Amino acid sequence: MNETLNLSTPWQKGLHKVRLWSLTNSPWAIHFNSGSCNGCDIELLATLTPRYDLERFGVKLQGSPRHADILICTGPVTRQARDRLLRTYEQMPGPKFVVALGSCGTSGGVFQGCYNIVGEIGNVIPVDAYIPGCPPRPEAMIDGIVKLLGSLK
Amino acid sequence: MQEPTRMQDMEAPLAELTDRFEWRDDNRLDVFITSDRLLPAVEVLFAHHWVYLTAITGFDSPAAEGSEAEGMIELLYHFCSGASILTLRLSLPYSNLVVPSVCHLIPPATLYERELIEMLGVEIPGTTSTDRLLLPDDWPVGVYPMRKTFKGL
Amino acid sequence: METKEKSEKFIVPIGPQHPALKEPGHFEFTVDGEVVTGASVRLGYVHRGIEKGAEDRNWTQDIYLVERVCGICSHIHATALALGVEKMAGVTAPARAQAIRSLIGEMERLHSHLLWLGVIAHEGGFDTLFMYSWRDRETVMDLLEQVTGNRVNYSANVLGGVKIDISSAQSDAIRRGVDFLESRTQHYLNIVTQDEVFLARTRGVGTMTKDQALLFGAVGPTARASGLEMDIRVDAPYAAYDQFKVNRVTDTHGDLEGRFIVRVKELFESYRLIREILDHLPEGELTVRVPRKIPAGEVISRVEAPRGELFYFLKSNGGDKPDRMKIRTPSLCNWASVMQLAVGHKLADMPMMLAGIDPCFSCNDRVMTIRRDHSRQTWSWEDLRRYSLEYYR
Repeated sequence: MNETLNLSTPWQKGLHKVRLWSLTNSPWAIHFNSGSCNGCDIELLATLTPRYDLERFGVKLQGSPRHADILICTGPVTRQARDRLLRTYEQMPGPKFVVALGSCGTSGGVFQGCYNIVGEIGNVIPVDAYIPGCPPRPEAMIDGIVKLLGSLK
Repeated sequence: MQEPTRMQDMEAPLAELTDRFEWRDDNRLDVFITSDRLLPAVEVLFAHHWVYLTAITGFDSPAAEGSEAEGMIELLYHFCSGASILTLRLSLPYSNLVVPSVCHLIPPATLYERELIEMLGVEIPGTTSTDRLLLPDDWPVGVYPMRKTFKGL
Repeated sequence: METKEKSEKFIVPIGPQHPALKEPGHFEFTVDGEVVTGASVRLGYVHRGIEKGAEDRNWTQDIYLVERVCGICSHIHATALALGVEKMAGVTAPARAQAIRSLIGEMERLHSHLLWLGVIAHEGGFDTLFMYSWRDRETVMDLLEQVTGNRVNYSANVLGGVKIDISSAQSDAIRRGVDFLESRTQHYLNIVTQDEVFLARTRGVGTMTKDQALLFGAVGPTARASGLEMDIRVDAPYAAYDQFKVNRVTDTHGDLEGRFIVRVKELFESYRLIREILDHLPEGELTVRVPRKIPAGEVISRVEAPRGELFYFLKSNGGDKPDRMKIRTPSLCNWASVMQLAVGHKLADMPMMLAGIDPCFSCNDRVMTIRRDHSRQTWSWEDLRRYSLEYYR
């Protein structure tokens, strides 16, 4: 987890449990493209289609950072996208988790060394889960997200 | 819309504006001109219905090590008709990187010209917009990524 | 193409990111009431510095790099590069390899057009069509995976040919897939030509005459929908297209309806081509040897990506790395054309018009600035989309 929680009183502990329960059972996710070729983004979108149906795991992909628990980020973080990525992350209330989707988000991918990229998402914001692949298959994405949710329980 | 003149017949109308033609492969004609001849050459092409400017390539040709010659930036204006590609080629010395805009004749050229300005540092008086197209807002002024001397920020 | 007025800034906080569909880019529309009076585009959120990066990688590594310029049209990028390098090296890939290149290229066109159909349906509020077309698209993804090993970034090309072969079992699977898709596509054609709700959003929207298409530099299906007869597969055949001839698909409407019709009909043309290639797949080798160091020279490689003409300029100085690799994507041309075209249209038509050129997503996050009178608002794509859906309710 990426924040220190004060869990000393029973009230705080209970509240934390409720938040975790709602988070792991019905997480709202937001997607951010930090400069990806769109391979990962299209496959993420494919997970919403009936064949893969990410929503049956309770994950809802919606639009606002302020309502999101999980940030799914693709791309090797271009210089132009870096600040917007940071701002998006900062707008999310805690507890929040970041998934780096694809090889670019993990290491810069094939674009390592190119002048306009920052590189891995972990250089900009803390990452909780990496789903490598170029792009990762929809099954791999679902597997990664489910594993992340499982590790929170 | 009329059929463009065959490329084989384009040497004659362009002969006044250049003294060098080079035929390459089986479908390419390169016409070497100076920057003051660019607009008249484009007008000749238009008069012969060569109106499709598919791209403007720019590349850096620095002087060889130890040479006294000046570095150049070469600009290639590629006009296409069917499989034929007629390219107007200019060499601009570093000390005079100025070329007139073709936007008033070819409106979409603005995107190609913006790219030349920010990537190579060419000045294009009369161009529709000098806003950055690809480089981020915080990119340092005067740093041109496609110059050979640029090795990263 | 854009006004130079300095206006006071009135910024609405940037709103929601649209899930998984959009990439970063920025449009600026100047409006007078409802009507667009000026438009400009600023790309750059996906600018990675690939052309420069290509100079630091050898020709083989660059195949893997250019495949990822765009995840939707990765094969055609690698094809353009491979063809250019082979030309400079003075070799020709074997006929079987060229045919397989064309085959995969057509399958890529299928997935790309079906993807676009779903995306633009979603823009217009037709989510059912989005779900159906993407479900059908899975058929193509499965076939691509069967044949190449990956759903995206299939990496079939090598310098000198292809690295995968088509077995007779795969050939049968492709045929079955194409048969299924053909019946589904007839259904889509009916919708885009007959459904009243659909036509209300597409007929007369974004009309570009043939002369405008030429002047504004449109390419691909966007240009063909205005009657412009340009298709590199026909005009300057590459790979196996001199053997497997393509019929250009054009339309005369010139509006968004025309762009739908062209892309859907191109699906049929691709089905036909795929069957023809499978029926007459040449025998022979899959690769020819290409030297590590490519002889000095320059070459231009033009191919027909799903979105239009893709242009590569390559320069070698005799080494194993490019001296210069210039990539001009079709979407760049189409952006320019739509920016010119937007003037005079309603703001509410912008989402459909922008999506109508099938912008290669390696370019636009659709954050946009709306300049109205003396104020400037920043909208997200979602804002504009909702605005347009409301407008047409």
